[in-house]
Amino acid sequence: MKHVFYASAAALALSAGMAQADQHLKFAPGEGAFSWDSFEALKSMDLSGEEISILGPWLGPDKELIESVVHYFEEATGADVEYSGSDSFEQQIVIDAEAGSPPNIAIFPQPGLAADLASKGLLAPLPAETADWIRDNYAAGQSWVDLGTYAGADGAEALYGFFYKVDVKSLVWYVPENFEDAGYDVPQTMEELKALTDQIVADGETPWCIGLGSGGATGWPATDWVEDMMLRINTPEDYDAWTTNELPFDDPKVIAAIEEFGAFARNDDYVSGGAGAVATTDFRDSPQGLFASPPQCYMHRQASFIPTFFPEGTEVGVDADFFYFPAYAEKDLGKPVLGAGTVWAITNDSKGAQAFMEFLKSPIAHEVWMAQKGFLTPHTGVNTEVYTDPTVAKMNGILLNADTFRFDGSDLMPGAIGAGVFWTGMVDYAGGKDAAEVAASIQSTWESIK
Amino acid sequence: MEMAGTKSRLTWAVNLAVGFLVLLWIIPTFGLLVSSFRDRDAISTSGWWTALSASEQNVIVRADAPDNARPDGAVWVLTGNVFDSGSGNVTAFGITSREPEAFAPGEVATHARGHQITVEANGDYRITYPEEPSGNRGQRLFVRAESPPSFTLDNYREVMFAEGMGKALLNTLTVTIPATIIPILVAAFAAYALAWMEMPGRALLIAAIVGLLVVPLQVAFIPLLKLHNNIGIGKGYLGIWLAHTGFGLPLAVFLLRNYMAGLPGEIIESARVDGASDFAIFRKIILPLSFPALASFAIFQFLWVWNDLLVAKVFLGTGEDQVVMTGRIVDLLGSRGGDWEILAASAFVSIAVPIAVFFSLQRYLVRGLLAGSVKGG
Repeated sequence: MKHVFYASAAALALSAGMAQADQHLKFAPGEGAFSWDSFEALKSMDLSGEEISILGPWLGPDKELIESVVHYFEEATGADVEYSGSDSFEQQIVIDAEAGSPPNIAIFPQPGLAADLASKGLLAPLPAETADWIRDNYAAGQSWVDLGTYAGADGAEALYGFFYKVDVKSLVWYVPENFEDAGYDVPQTMEELKALTDQIVADGETPWCIGLGSGGATGWPATDWVEDMMLRINTPEDYDAWTTNELPFDDPKVIAAIEEFGAFARNDDYVSGGAGAVATTDFRDSPQGLFASPPQCYMHRQASFIPTFFPEGTEVGVDADFFYFPAYAEKDLGKPVLGAGTVWAITNDSKGAQAFMEFLKSPIAHEVWMAQKGFLTPHTGVNTEVYTDPTVAKMNGILLNADTFRFDGSDLMPGAIGAGVFWTGMVDYAGGKDAAEVAASIQSTWESIK
Repeated sequence: MEMAGTKSRLTWAVNLAVGFLVLLWIIPTFGLLVSSFRDRDAISTSGWWTALSASEQNVIVRADAPDNARPDGAVWVLTGNVFDSGSGNVTAFGITSREPEAFAPGEVATHARGHQITVEANGDYRITYPEEPSGNRGQRLFVRAESPPSFTLDNYREVMFAEGMGKALLNTLTVTIPATIIPILVAAFAAYALAWMEMPGRALLIAAIVGLLVVPLQVAFIPLLKLHNNIGIGKGYLGIWLAHTGFGLPLAVFLLRNYMAGLPGEIIESARVDGASDFAIFRKIILPLSFPALASFAIFQFLWVWNDLLVAKVFLGTGEDQVVMTGRIVDLLGSRGGDWEILAASAFVSIAVPIAVFFSLQRYLVRGLLAGSVKGG
């Protein structure tokens, strides 16, 4: 029925322009800098009557964003796509997949969980040519293929996951006008960042706001800090070895990275509220200190999503801005970027599910979200002119210009580590426990689950 | 005399202790209630107890854009008021984040870029530029101001009029009412049989049911859903009614059996002698006498199913026609949570129905709670 309606609407639209489509689609086809030819190409697939269910972690405003993208697929193919979000996605997908009633497609925030399900035979591999497509069309394509390739139930490796929507984590947020009032410049190297930190303390102010609180996930912001520090004092190879435990957690290299984080978080003068407040401050409340009068802190290291928690009416790029969390100039490690992303996989194979994964490759699927808010993509075939928000374009620049891109290590580690003792260990460390002791206890847990 | 004196002193101590405990219990709820009327920024920057009285706060206000300055003789002038509502009392102001309280109201501050700024006590500001200014972002004004307590109904509006909330309420009722009635029906029959019908292995059966009380329901999710999928129920209302019935039955049977076993045996004996069948005894004697226990279990089960999110997420589908109220509220909280104001408001919205149920059935609750513990109670 719906399809019939669209078909007749499309016929009417010939004379009336695309006014009809406006009601369903965020951006009228044919207008703006979008790659509309990729949208037209989708129309070759006829999926009327096909139902596709998608389960993902996005709720609220994020859900509206993903649905705005999905509408284009529905419009072009006639399929009926139902997206539902869950705040307990990680548990729900496991229950549904094991019980035999999974959605067609699942959106995993962590590749580790997707790998788990793949090894139980609960994911359907993507067509072989997808891997080639990713290599050709994604910046640092091979790394995205590697992150989406898992061993199946039979032990054979195949590409299961497709990355769509990524986040950059190596960002430091600040209020440009506060920097201007105080006469500070944006640091370009880690040495400058540390000098600036000391400078702010010397001026009688507090440089950093750090908050690790996050309910049951308390501690995860600290794992991002440690990962960023790993990439800044050790080689990317060491980082990779660390995420698979080839480099033990209690290796001096890892302990050094933890202590680099401690240099910021465990110094009472550096952190708003003192070092004792780090573990108890909620990560969502933590950035508020930037906007207080007088400012409670000048800098906040957090991923690209954090503006959601800035005070109402804050305009990113003017009221608040970010700079790249810099690397050491003296160490020859280039400009590493830490990121994360959502990986899409087929949990219940169908013609519609395959077609939808095909849709995710089309530039239009990326551009519709890019033109709204908070969407970064390694897709090199998209038209970056559609970014309406210059700050997001700037983030995407950081992503595309990275010398080294590494995925959030805690998401790659086994759940018991990356979403368990690594978190709690970091809370202990922030609370004053010795770095070597914390690292040794994490390593012993890792050995026990091997 | 002495005894009586001690007793009254003891009563005082008890009353004081009870009063203190009640206060202790009420404080968090009261805090939640206050928070539900505050906006998100206020919640994350100050405690709810500060919301009750007028407080002096430092706020940052952005003046009008320089592009809007009007020529006034040789200079360009921008005027406005720092208060949204138009009234308030400024006690100090500043023009840089370093010195947010550098000037008293009425004083003239000179910005490094040459323009002059004055903020009056009533919040009116005036910025004079020596030359025509440009830019669409206004100067930041740092103001120390007394602000009256401010409350908003927006949170409640957002929760109650959120898209799909009405439908979700109906869905919750569709889940809750059968999921309360079915286990009571089943459990009442079972409890009677276990209490008054002689059969071999009855004690073992009761022990097994009590044993089931300690099984966490989470372990049953995957096998139960698998079963539902295999026998063709799939995800839906029938599935969740069965699931809630199953999860509620051990407690229901245990509670009702204990109550029924405590009923005076003579009545049942004489009914038997008069030739009443087991079903007639159950229907005409046991059921009316057990009403307090049935009502108290109904309250428990209703509250538990009403507030449930986990079981609904597992056994119901994700379509618009199957999302329950708790699920809808979680949607409102956003992907990363942290919208405390929505959580606080929705807590009070969603307890409205259970509170009505509780008050209409609560006179049975106390009697029901004593079920089986006091002979003849």
